[in-house]
Amino acid sequence: MSVAPIPPHIVAIERPRESLMTYYVLTAIAANVAFPFVFPYLYFRYHTMRYRFDTDGIHMKWGIIFRREVLLNYSRIQDIHLRSNLIERWLGLARIEIQTASGSASANMTLEGMEDPEGMRDFLYSRMRGAREEKAGGAADPVAAALLEIAGELREIRALVERQRV
Amino acid sequence: MTIAEWVKDVVLRLARVPAQPHVPEGAEESVRMFNAGRNYFTWRMILWGLGNAAIALGLLVAFAFSFIPKLPPLVRAIWLAVEAGAVGIFVVSIPITYFLQRLNYEMRWYIVTDRSLRIRSGVVWLQEITMTFANIQGIRVNANPIERLLGLANVEVRSAGGGDSTAHGEPSSGHVGNFAGVDNAEAIRDLLVERLRVYRDSGLGEKTVEAREPLSLSAAREVLHETRALRNSLASGLGST
Repeated sequence: MSVAPIPPHIVAIERPRESLMTYYVLTAIAANVAFPFVFPYLYFRYHTMRYRFDTDGIHMKWGIIFRREVLLNYSRIQDIHLRSNLIERWLGLARIEIQTASGSASANMTLEGMEDPEGMRDFLYSRMRGAREEKAGGAADPVAAALLEIAGELREIRALVERQRV
Repeated sequence: MTIAEWVKDVVLRLARVPAQPHVPEGAEESVRMFNAGRNYFTWRMILWGLGNAAIALGLLVAFAFSFIPKLPPLVRAIWLAVEAGAVGIFVVSIPITYFLQRLNYEMRWYIVTDRSLRIRSGVVWLQEITMTFANIQGIRVNANPIERLLGLANVEVRSAGGGDSTAHGEPSSGHVGNFAGVDNAEAIRDLLVERLRVYRDSGLGEKTVEAREPLSLSAAREVLHETRALRNSLASGLGST
C-alpha cells in the first residue's frame, strides 16, 4: 500500500483551537455545583492538550496531575464517529471519536477542538484499513465482484423459474 | 414553501445542521443512500407519545397530592405554583419535541459505498459514524413486534470490540452502526453481505492473509454452481410437464 505523506496542515496541528476553552467554560458552568471541580480539570486539560500527527498514527497527551498519553495507529482504526451538540456547532467544534478493536464501548481517543473536524475525519478515514485499494490479500477484486454479481443474477433467474412453475 | 418547511429551514440554520451528509470515499457509481422507512416516524411517535403520557401521569399524581387535607395553605399554594409551572413547561415542550422528532426522522441517512458505510443521524446531537467494510465483523437484523407490524427493522453493523448492545434507536456502543427503522432491511442486508464478501481477512489488523484460492476462482466456481443449479431446475421442470 502506498503511503501518501501527511498533509502539512495536519502535521502542523499541535494544540486544540481556542473555542474549545470557551466550550469547556460553558460545560463547567452547566455543571453548576460541581463547577469548582470541573473547571480546573477542564482548564488544565485544555492547556496541557497536545496533538502530534505523524506518518503512522496520532499522539495525544494531556493532564497535569495525572498525565495521560494516548497513541493510536491509523491502520488500527475501526470506526470513526463525528459528534457534535448544538453548542459545539455554534462554536465550530465537533468531537472525533476514534474506535479501535478494544473491549470498551467508549472511544479510545477523542479528538477535540480540531480546526476543520470534517476535513480531519476525512483524512483519518482515508488512512483507515479498507478505505483505499490494497494490493494484496483482502483487497477488493473487481473480477471476483463481477462474477459474484453474475452468480447473484443466476440465482434470481432460478428463483423466477421456480416461482413460475408453482 | 410551506410554513413547516420554512420553520425547518430556520431551525436547521440556527442549529448549524448540515442539510446533507458527506458521502465517504469510494467508487461513485456504488454509492447507495437509504433513509428511514415511512413508518419509522409512526414508531417514534409511539415512543414519544408513551413518554409524554408518562410525564402527564406524573403531573397528575403530583396535582393529586395538593388535595391532602391537612396541608398548610402556604405549602399548598407553593405546591400548586410549582405544579402550574411544570404543566406550562410540559405543554410548551410538546410541539417542540414533536417537531424535533419529525426532524430526527427526516434527517437520517444511511450511505453505503463499495468500501465503507456512513450513518448520519440526529439534529440537536448530530452524529456521523463511518466504518469500512474491511473492519466489519458482523451484521444483525432485528425488529420488535411493533416494528414488525409497521414493516420496519434495524440493521446493525458491528466492528470488532466490546460494549453494550443497542438501546432503542441509537447504539450505546461505539462499535455498532445502526440502520434504524428501515423498511427494506432485506435489501440492505443483502447489499452489505455482497460488499463484505470480497474481504477475506479477519478484519483485525493484518493486511495480507493468504487466501486458500484466488477470490476470482471461487467466484467463478459459484457462477458454475449457480448455472448448474439453474439447468437442473429447468430440466426438472421439463420432466414434470
